[in-house]
Amino acid sequence: MSIQKPFLILLIALALAPLWVAIAVVAESPRVAMPDKHRALLKEHCVSCHGPEKQKGKFRVDDLPFSLADIETSEKWQKVLNQMNSGEMPPEEEKQPTNSAKTDFLDDLSNVMVAARKALADRNGAITIRRLNRREYSNSLRELLGVEINVTELPADTGNGAFDTMGANLFMSGNQLEQYLALGREALDEAFAWQAAMGLERKIRVEAEDEASQKVRKKYQDDLDALERAKKWVAAVAAAMASPENAEVVAKLRKDAKSEDAVRREWKKIKGAPAPEDFGFVTKQNTADLAHYALQFGTAAGKGYTRAYREAYLGMSDVERGGYLTVGGGLEMLLHDHITLAVPFEWEMVSGDYIFRVRLAATDKATPERKFIEFGVAPQHTESPFLSTHQVTGTMKNPQIIEIPITLTRHHAERANRTLFVREKGIRDHYTQAQSKLGTAKARNGIGPDFAIWVDWMELERLPDSRKGKATAIAALGIPLDDEAAPGAADVREALGRFCMKAFRGAMPEPGYLDKLTRLYASRMEAGDKHSAALKRTLAVALSSPQFLYLAEPVEDNERRPLSAVELATRLSYFLLGAPPDATLLALSARGELTKPEVLAGQTKRLLDDPRSRGFTRPFVHQWLGLERLDFFEFNRKLFPRFDASTKLAAREEIFATFEHILRENASVRDFLKADYAIINGVLAEYYGIAGVEGDAFQKVALPKNSARGGLLGMAAVMAMGGNGEHTSPVERGAWVLRKLLNDPPPPAPANVPQITRLAGKVLTTRERLTAHQEDAQCASCHRKIDPIGFGLENFDAVGQWRTQDTYQVMDETGKPVKGASTTWQIDAGATLHKGPAFENYFQLRDRIEEKSGAFSKGLSEALIEYALGRPIGFRDAPLVAAMVERAGQKHLALREFIHALVESKEFQTK
Amino acid sequence: MHTRRHFLQSTGAIIALPALESLGFRRFASAATVTPPKRLIFLSFGWGTTESTWYPDIKKPGPDYELPKGLAPLARHKADFSVVQGLWNKYSNEGHWGSTMWLTGANRYAQAGQSFSNGVSADQVAAERLGMDTRFSSLHFNGTEGDMGQSGHGPGLSLAWDMRGKPVPGLNGPLAAYHRLFAKDNTPLEQQRALLAEKRSVLDAVLDNAKTLQRGLSTADNAKVAEYFQSIRDIETRLSKDEQWIGVPHPDAPLPEPKPGIAGRGEIALMYDIMIAAMQTDSTRVFTYRQPVWSLLTSLDIKVFPHDMSHYHTTLGEKLDASQRRDVAQSELLAGFLDKLKGTREADGSRLFDNIALAYGSNIRTGHELSNCPTILTGGAAGLKLGHSIVAPKDTPLCNAWLTLLHGVGVNVERHGDSSGVLKEISA
Repeated sequence: MSIQKPFLILLIALALAPLWVAIAVVAESPRVAMPDKHRALLKEHCVSCHGPEKQKGKFRVDDLPFSLADIETSEKWQKVLNQMNSGEMPPEEEKQPTNSAKTDFLDDLSNVMVAARKALADRNGAITIRRLNRREYSNSLRELLGVEINVTELPADTGNGAFDTMGANLFMSGNQLEQYLALGREALDEAFAWQAAMGLERKIRVEAEDEASQKVRKKYQDDLDALERAKKWVAAVAAAMASPENAEVVAKLRKDAKSEDAVRREWKKIKGAPAPEDFGFVTKQNTADLAHYALQFGTAAGKGYTRAYREAYLGMSDVERGGYLTVGGGLEMLLHDHITLAVPFEWEMVSGDYIFRVRLAATDKATPERKFIEFGVAPQHTESPFLSTHQVTGTMKNPQIIEIPITLTRHHAERANRTLFVREKGIRDHYTQAQSKLGTAKARNGIGPDFAIWVDWMELERLPDSRKGKATAIAALGIPLDDEAAPGAADVREALGRFCMKAFRGAMPEPGYLDKLTRLYASRMEAGDKHSAALKRTLAVALSSPQFLYLAEPVEDNERRPLSAVELATRLSYFLLGAPPDATLLALSARGELTKPEVLAGQTKRLLDDPRSRGFTRPFVHQWLGLERLDFFEFNRKLFPRFDASTKLAAREEIFATFEHILRENASVRDFLKADYAIINGVLAEYYGIAGVEGDAFQKVALPKNSARGGLLGMAAVMAMGGNGEHTSPVERGAWVLRKLLNDPPPPAPANVPQITRLAGKVLTTRERLTAHQEDAQCASCHRKIDPIGFGLENFDAVGQWRTQDTYQVMDETGKPVKGASTTWQIDAGATLHKGPAFENYFQLRDRIEEKSGAFSKGLSEALIEYALGRPIGFRDAPLVAAMVERAGQKHLALREFIHALVESKEFQTK
Repeated sequence: MHTRRHFLQSTGAIIALPALESLGFRRFASAATVTPPKRLIFLSFGWGTTESTWYPDIKKPGPDYELPKGLAPLARHKADFSVVQGLWNKYSNEGHWGSTMWLTGANRYAQAGQSFSNGVSADQVAAERLGMDTRFSSLHFNGTEGDMGQSGHGPGLSLAWDMRGKPVPGLNGPLAAYHRLFAKDNTPLEQQRALLAEKRSVLDAVLDNAKTLQRGLSTADNAKVAEYFQSIRDIETRLSKDEQWIGVPHPDAPLPEPKPGIAGRGEIALMYDIMIAAMQTDSTRVFTYRQPVWSLLTSLDIKVFPHDMSHYHTTLGEKLDASQRRDVAQSELLAGFLDKLKGTREADGSRLFDNIALAYGSNIRTGHELSNCPTILTGGAAGLKLGHSIVAPKDTPLCNAWLTLLHGVGVNVERHGDSSGVLKEISA
């Protein structure tokens, strides 16, 4: 691809002129063209059939313009690319171009296609009107109503490869409009419930000995009692069997039966044998089975497996004044592998902010990886998710209290959702997980896993008035929300007006619209609704109205113009908080001060310092780095038992926490590429084998000089994404590095490239297998860039742990390993970058990548622009990107500088 | 309104007879007719198939072809469906989009200034015509998993794209589908009317607000906000339909309410049952269904990640096995669906099967291959040549097949997508 000179000059002119003037002048797109050198290939290998004479398939290449200036030409080139990628052209029997010429041709053409598509889709920097995307909608409700609801039934607005802020991709449908109405009602129900519960004080404490120990003891004693009764019954049957009058029957039974149990099942045929019922075994099936089952408690097999473990439990020193967390595995081991606290039914009005406290300690048997608990809701689900993981640092001598904030809603008053629990980490991701832990421990000590965590008590306390006055739109209503006395129509109309002002971010609703809302309220009242119900139904309509759902920026005659102060406040706030502008921003924009550069910079800083900026950091980082891939597959628990759900959660969190650290400290974005520190918590420190880190908070930890950690490449989550949960994928990793770190994205995987099948089932190393990519031009054109980077990261396994060797095992079609068909090799992470330097190992590769912090900064800038403006990056953005990198460059590429430069740009401040 | 109510009966005892009254028979009895309506069904399955064991031998077309392993479970129906090879969507370029353009044949880059655009899908073309007399013009189903990227379907909210090429939302999973079709509304008529009136007032209010918002918007923004206006119109159309159907209770469900949590194989089977039920009650005549692949694998106890499975070529082994087991499971499910379509009788004694046209396939052949898309056509409504392995000339537009189906069910549009004519190879 080449960009012609006149355009470059234009670019420079653009950089100097105010944008909305420049845009009117410049209309020409950049020239995207196939390099001239490739004419030879077409001439030599294509024109004889697709030229003026033959025109096979009515397709000519001799008059194919090398400049891809319109859709028609691009489609023709796409056809050329498709035909060559699929291997259909040139036809097999014809003379073939050399592999290297073909590789270069395909490399250039596929990149030219990407550039041409981009140029043809360019809309001159115009920003399409944005609907609130799903998370912005949810955040907006939170700001207005003070509550958060589940909005997952709305379309996610992601998944098309672009940021969820891209207005053009944010659709609306009748169905969705109805969902807004329903969700608005749900949110208002919750908000009104919250208001009604405001000020309530609630507290409950449960002792773990009641919740756990006593239940274990009761179950143990019941089983013991059943065992004794079963023994007595067996003895009584045995006595009857010994009687001579039964000799014949017994002999016959023994002959047919496989075991003594099976003989006793026929106790009715044995004269004088007592019924199991007489010994307390009552069931609808064969009652003997129940007795036999009870017998197992006296043996090592079957249920007896649980006896020793329970005895060990009841023998623990502090069982009377607390309870121990166990590893249950869904077996009938110990009733519970978790200890619960249920929200009492009597509380009724539950909505509110709470603190959950648990007093607990690690026993002296707790190994470091077992000193963690998981906290969550609804443990009855077999593979129940949890909300958070916490490190246990208390000791039996000096127990600790962990405090966990949690918000409860109306739905936590429901039976299915009212149980809060704590359990040991990594025992309930899947039933096989606990089973393997049980099995391993049992094999070692004959009993079961040691008891690692002791719990004294758990407590739940409501924080009264925790969000008082924070629900701006509710506060604005200014009329009673209960049904004590219904306000008059005029009062309701005014209240609706005030509510809409908040919901519409300061815009005044039209009187006609307010009339219609008021009439809706009145008709609900006439239909028999109470005031609060009619009001909620009416307000839900306001929350489904376009002035709430869309961020409108009207213009005159399609002319570009600077944003108004309130529009700027809105754009800034949705960028950095993912939420509507707060009172400060609205006040500043009302006074016309926000457009002053120093005020705008001050507000940008304030928002970045606000904890609500998670509404920017989380979605931005998630989409920018493509973290959704982390949830694309199940990690193989057998191969990687340590990468449990808690660890995966922490690994994902590390990426966010690192970004937030760099943002908070205004550190250099170079730290994303390489750093002498990591931002980790107790879980990850334990996983990474880094000593001296304690607690649940992500904290800055200095790394030793030779550490592989530090920077995105050293993060478990990043490496785990570059695999499939079982094996690493050098291709995924290489492509990710090119896309995200080096701003050199490979073209999308082309359709119809013949798959390489001849290596299947062969015993090869990863590298040997991937070398096949270099043989076919269709593959090599991209993979020569991708694969070497992937090779350099092979020291990280599929869950981001460091390794020095790898194994390939051929599997048969049932997924079982084929005997003898396996190979193990020492990992050599050295390779040579395409048209670049060689590196010997991961550390050198990381250095090579760190040297490209310029390219990284460019990629980051482009991502920020797309995210903030809600439109694809265009060729006209080159000066803005350059300006952002330039400004940050003056401060060692400090992260905030990128954002300040963007916010201060004409692009950001222009409709 | 000239609604025709139809009365279906089952050959077996499996399917209970719905009561006449619950079908609104009394109200429309005078218009009752015995000619069953024609119906159109599109089923897509994301990640394609196993090339070597799903396709019949391309060199031996005709009625005497050998059924490959992946289609073996369909043996008992061999005379009643045709496998078609050689079809594709020439503009498709996305190796992970098994459904986005499957029914539209559109070029995502067709509109200057847009990096994505789509066209109308064949089902929506049909719904315009076939949807007039039923409670729902068309119904669109997805897997319970909702966002179906992992199942290889690509962007979209269902298989359907409306006249403007915008995504049409679907119902995710059997429970949602069941509720939409059979939820009982016990509200008194008066109240139902009041509710409809209220919905109209709500639309009236938001329309008012939309006009305020629209004032002064740029041309491009106006085009975007047009979606909101269209949404209002869509709901209005639905309300008008609701009004016509007021007092006609939702039909009794010919099957019990699905239990939540059924996924994968069981889910697909259930969805087929629900489609049969929807046809029995004549709730709609146009269906699309993006089938779950991810949860299908899970339900078959296959641990391979679906996208990985579709790239079985480099390692074969357990990935190939997963791919083949997926094929077999899908064919078994389809065979079960055909059993029921044949086993359910219409009022005139014909089978449901005789009055449907069904297309089953994916925009993806295998891996990232987008040519020779897997295609099975069946049903007696569209005058198709069944029981054949049909090989169309290489790179025949898939839209030719859709055009054939449309004509077959009486929707005589001139062209669809990039069609170049009907698919004459399959016209009986």
